[in-house]
Amino acid sequence: MKTFFLAAALLAVPTLAGAASFTFIVAGLGGEPEYEERFREEAAVIGAAAVEAAGGDKSHVVMLMGEQARRDSLRREFQEFAAKVKPTDSATVVLIGHGTYDGEDYRFNVPGADITGSELGQLFDRLSAKRQLIVNATSSSGATIELWQRPDRVVITATKSGGERTATRFAQYWGQAVSGDAADVNKDETVTAAEAFDYANRQVAASFKSDVALATEHARIAGEDTAAFAVAHIGASAVSGTSPEVAALLTQRGQIEQDLEGVKGRKTTLSEDQYYDELEGVLVRLAHLQQQIDAKRAVQ
Amino acid sequence: MMHPLSRLLPLLVATFMAGSALAQAIDYDPRRAPELRACDEHQYHGRVEQARACYSPLVNSSNAVIQAEAFWAMGDLQRANECFRDFAKANPRAVQPRIRWARLFLQTHQYNDAAETFREALRIFPNDPHAKIGLARVLAERFEGDAGPLIEEVLREHDDLVEAYLVSAQLALEAGQVEAAQKQLERAGDLAAKQKLPPLEIFTMRAAIESSRDRDPQPWIKRALDYNPRYGAAYEQLAHFEIMRRRYREATALLRRAIEVQPDLWSAHAELGSNLLRLGQVEEARQQLTAAYSGDPYSPTTVNSLRLLDRIDQFDVSSTPVAVAGDTYVVRLRLHRSESSVLEPYAIDLIQQGIATFSRRYGFKLQEPVTVELYPDHDDFAVRVAALPGIGLLGVTFGYVVAMDSPSGRASGDFHWGSTLWHELAHVFTLEATDHRVPRWLSEGISVFEEWRTGPTPGVVVPPDVITALNDDKFLPVADLDGGFIRPAYPNQIQVSYVQAGLICLFVEQRWGFERLAALLHQFDRANVTTAAAVQAAFKMAPADFDKEFDAFLHSRYGALLAGMNEYQSQYQAARKATQSEQWNDAVAPAKRAAELYPEHVGPGSPNLLLARAFDKLGRRAEAIAAVEAYRNAGGWDPAALRELARWLDEVGRKQDATTVLQSLNYSEPLNPEQHVQLGERLLADNRAEDSLREFRVLLALRDHDQAPALFGAARALYALGDRAASRRHVLDALAAAPHYKPAQEFLLKIVEERSKNE
Repeated sequence: MKTFFLAAALLAVPTLAGAASFTFIVAGLGGEPEYEERFREEAAVIGAAAVEAAGGDKSHVVMLMGEQARRDSLRREFQEFAAKVKPTDSATVVLIGHGTYDGEDYRFNVPGADITGSELGQLFDRLSAKRQLIVNATSSSGATIELWQRPDRVVITATKSGGERTATRFAQYWGQAVSGDAADVNKDETVTAAEAFDYANRQVAASFKSDVALATEHARIAGEDTAAFAVAHIGASAVSGTSPEVAALLTQRGQIEQDLEGVKGRKTTLSEDQYYDELEGVLVRLAHLQQQIDAKRAVQ
Repeated sequence: MMHPLSRLLPLLVATFMAGSALAQAIDYDPRRAPELRACDEHQYHGRVEQARACYSPLVNSSNAVIQAEAFWAMGDLQRANECFRDFAKANPRAVQPRIRWARLFLQTHQYNDAAETFREALRIFPNDPHAKIGLARVLAERFEGDAGPLIEEVLREHDDLVEAYLVSAQLALEAGQVEAAQKQLERAGDLAAKQKLPPLEIFTMRAAIESSRDRDPQPWIKRALDYNPRYGAAYEQLAHFEIMRRRYREATALLRRAIEVQPDLWSAHAELGSNLLRLGQVEEARQQLTAAYSGDPYSPTTVNSLRLLDRIDQFDVSSTPVAVAGDTYVVRLRLHRSESSVLEPYAIDLIQQGIATFSRRYGFKLQEPVTVELYPDHDDFAVRVAALPGIGLLGVTFGYVVAMDSPSGRASGDFHWGSTLWHELAHVFTLEATDHRVPRWLSEGISVFEEWRTGPTPGVVVPPDVITALNDDKFLPVADLDGGFIRPAYPNQIQVSYVQAGLICLFVEQRWGFERLAALLHQFDRANVTTAAAVQAAFKMAPADFDKEFDAFLHSRYGALLAGMNEYQSQYQAARKATQSEQWNDAVAPAKRAAELYPEHVGPGSPNLLLARAFDKLGRRAEAIAAVEAYRNAGGWDPAALRELARWLDEVGRKQDATTVLQSLNYSEPLNPEQHVQLGERLLADNRAEDSLREFRVLLALRDHDQAPALFGAARALYALGDRAASRRHVLDALAAAPHYKPAQEFLLKIVEERSKNE
């Protein structure tokens, strides 16, 4: 559970440093009205959540769909997007739609000529952000995970390989994960890439189970510190920026969280009563401190 | 001790090497070669060594068919198959060898190949009676209704064929027509004596007739064993008829005798294994099935049962005492580990209600623990019902053991597991109250009727295909209704028979009162009671008069629908069309009229649901609610429709009704976590802390990856129940999992403050 503490502490870093969150979303070619509509809706949900994560700044979110998603337009828009993103920012790219894989290269289906996985990879390499997340929610997206992997980049694909060719459900649940608190398992009011992936992955599996259908997609995640990449903030934590006072309290909070991990680590060596007594001591401290943080944030 | 199937494979090889015999059925065909007949005599009299010595040189015969028969008799089925195959290929017009090849397929449970090969023989010579008899055997084995007409056709053209009379007698006996069966056997006996054919099967069937009359079958068994002391099939056949009558305990004793007499009767080992599974005796079942597999590796039932047993350790077995009217009953549950914590509380609750309801209504107290098994994999459930005729697709009851699909095994909206469990529990009572003598139709009828009257989805549900069958005059006379279950004559006859049987029970209740239905059931407490006699005794009228009154009841209840079927169809189609094109105003009148004409249609596309949708789209929420409530009161349970109803009820302030609707969803869609979150919170707000706690505990089992909300909910419910210590532990566990969970933090601070005030 040490990882959790590190993750929580790291989450505070971008806001403390005034880092911004940028998102680039593409809804590809549906091919049929049903898919066109679905992809647009999914992009809209993810886009709205991205705007909220960017503190309401719409200029931080680029969304392409329909004719805007043509290969040339996509390339041009992405280059402009990459130019805006600074190394201290976080950048997220979400691809929604159909993908194909012919055994050699992945292709993202857009109006007109498709764009290949290699071309997209070259575009993504223009990002200077030290914290990058690429979510390829298309069919056959598994073919891109190794291709796009870089240090400081988390890559998520809806399928395990290029061979999973059926239209995917992943984007729908990714949208749910970033636009509510359902994925926030540790209730820290921040949804991380790891939490969102876990949520979407579970929901995809549950939907196939509910349909008693053979699962045709198995999502993958690659990259380090997936639990440190915030994809959504909820409640008080959604307030942009952090004052020095709050930052100091957050540091204290991190120390209490370490104490908590210590108690949990000793669980097997303590009697039940001792364990719960110690747990209560730490958690009461944490609860009081959280009240102070919330009070400070409320007047910010 | 597990026996993975892979470990059994070497045994298969060993079997062939040793040449252990798989007993051949008697070949009644006069075309059988004389060389074989001499050996057959030894075989039919159980002189095993002499038979082997006689058959052995024939494997080198220059006649490929004799060679095949000799290999078969010696137990080398692969060589037998090869010989038949090569001969058939070289002789495209040969009939009798094809019939024998088909018999080999039949013996090795390859029913499709057997049927196809019999048909191939009939294509060459369309009137061959032995090919027809063989085909009828295949159809009978698969409980297909065409077996009867085919054997009648043979008997019309050839009144001297022993086997035709035997098959005819078997079909009659399975349908409960004992007198007809006896007549056929008497004729078969005379013919066998004249033709000097072995009387073994005739003696066995005569024993089965005695047994079905609850008389001692022993004299006939003795005659069979005097003829062949190793003829275990005599007991096995008796067991078959006991299983048909769902008397599994009696069948078990007979099957044990069968393998005592003939230890290598692998089919009896297999049937004993399956039967022990039905009785819940897992370990001995495994031993018998393993023995069966070692001798007969061709039976898919045996292989599938063993595969199921290989997975049995994935199931949790619990034993819970439940109190009902001053008595305590033990309920055993066998649930898959992945869902046992979720399903157990609802299953126990429903079973307790079922025991209370059926004990009271039918005046019978359970004498043994009841076991309920829920299978998430439908194939596992299918293994449990293998070789039983006309069994419903969702559940089956073997006396005190119920096996059924788990809700996780089917798509949402496909299956109401609560109603299925209720249906099966009613069977436990009707079977056990009558020592399994209740006829199939009445047991099913009462189960369907109880679903309608007392089950979790009350309402008389009569699907459109049953209305069509009624309209086409396809309902059977009460005295023949068992036939509709055992050997259906048209594709959906089993389903139609279920509903007809339920409607008969409804008719009895409405015409004479419920007590008379219970009295009808108890007619079967005694042995040798036919449906006709029971109807006569219970209602003081002949079955034909009962049928007439029932028909009048149906026409008074469904007359308007039958007369207005065309109107219903046109109104319903108009409503559907308007709904599809979102012309909501145009949908209202036809949907309303269709719902008036046929309110019992609560399946997919129910007219009341079309009406509700149209009203909702038109902003007429109160009428939309009324339409879904009418649908629900008629037995509708579609989870999506009821979830919407709950939302609408909330919106109009009918919170408690909404909670009731949501609670009902636990019996159709219990694996939806959101439902338990909602219910837990609502019940807590309604001061129903105990019910709330149950929902949060179920949520805890469903969401192992996100336990904090469930633990926090349970903490609040426990607090409301006054269990402060448990409440504290739960909230601390919630916060240990999710340290920043603010509502839980607030709750923790509250209970700590409260405690310090009291100290």
